[in-house]
Amino acid sequence: MRQPKWALKELIDRLDGDREFLRELLVIFRQDVRVNLQKSHEAIGSSDYEQLSRAAHTMKGMLRNLSMDVAAETAAALETASRESRGSDSKELLERLEKELEEILPEVESQLAGVRS
Amino acid sequence: MLVAEDDALSRTLLERTLQRAGYEVISVENGAQAIAELVKEDAPRLALLDWIMPEVDGVEVCRELRRRKDQAYTYLILLSSRESKEDIVAGLESGADDYLTKPFNVDELKARLRTGLRILELEDHLVEARESMRFQATHDLLTSLWNRGVIVELMTHEIMRSRRERSCTSVMMCDIDHFKAVNDQYGHATGDDVLREVARRLHNSVRSYDMVGRYGGEEFLVALNKCNPGSAISRAENLRNKIAGRPIQTANKPVSVTISIGLALSTEFTECTIEEIMHHADMALYAAKAAGRNCVRVARPSGIGTPTDEQPKETQVLTP
Repeated sequence: MRQPKWALKELIDRLDGDREFLRELLVIFRQDVRVNLQKSHEAIGSSDYEQLSRAAHTMKGMLRNLSMDVAAETAAALETASRESRGSDSKELLERLEKELEEILPEVESQLAGVRS
Repeated sequence: MLVAEDDALSRTLLERTLQRAGYEVISVENGAQAIAELVKEDAPRLALLDWIMPEVDGVEVCRELRRRKDQAYTYLILLSSRESKEDIVAGLESGADDYLTKPFNVDELKARLRTGLRILELEDHLVEARESMRFQATHDLLTSLWNRGVIVELMTHEIMRSRRERSCTSVMMCDIDHFKAVNDQYGHATGDDVLREVARRLHNSVRSYDMVGRYGGEEFLVALNKCNPGSAISRAENLRNKIAGRPIQTANKPVSVTISIGLALSTEFTECTIEEIMHHADMALYAAKAAGRNCVRVARPSGIGTPTDEQPKETQVLTP
């Protein structure tokens, strides 16, 4: 069975339906996921696997907290690969993670826009 | 309670969840800040620590806090996204009380925090009981002064120390004059009021590092540390005046009492044992009683002198 990219309903339930709080979390997410992707690219560039695994770990936590399970699993795999200094696997996983995030981010944006209006 | 989590999103989520559950939350971003918060006075007793944080991680926070044994117990919960058994064992061995895996389930988190609170409450009861027992074991029930065993022990240490440091400890045996008459005339409840008030006045008339204990029924032992031998007599006179100076307000009526004091200076009895010094102080007390009470007598190696003696003379010696 295919996992949903973003189990938004489950997340909202977990937040007791507090959409204002959801918005607050998504604002943090939008900012921090960008910072950590940036860090990951830098780390891959300099083969700094410790930095990479730390950034992947942070993203994994964020994604799990927001019920973005598919991307969270990719981030978890990236964390493991980078901890084991598997260069090409890491690179591939980072690309995949980025693609998965690209699919989610517009949804995040529309949520933010929707709650605001 | 304290939340230590480097990831802003998790931190916000935890903070809000805990606030909703009624906790007052202090949140920090790393392990070093967590330690700084947890060792403060009135620090939170309950802490949720993220396992992986830059520089000082959650496990190190646990270790550091458990190394410090001087403060109240802090209940530590590690937050982990790892699931392997070794990690959990390592975490618990570092001193954590519990762990939770992320992303946390709100009900489970609340339940585990309640467990923490229960343990802390239990700890507080035990500490309170221990402190109360310790107080009872070392203090006199009626006057709250040191009890006989403790005052003698403390004084012994003090005299030993003053001998090493070539300073002087003054030992004063103080006894309420005609105390039996107070009991007979006003009853034991009034007698107890008198004992309490004499104890209070003695206690309040010495420095915080001096020691006052109840030695026996109406007898008190005062030890003045690092006491200048030249001023010991005036300090004894001061204690005597504190009692004789004004009547004691008892529940019943004002009662005037006086005390007699036998004084011995540790520097005058460098060759004596503690028991011998106390015996000398006791003999001086007898001499004070014999001299008409409400006065101070000083024990000299050669006998007993009056406070006015500059040099003890043969004629003033009252041999025991």
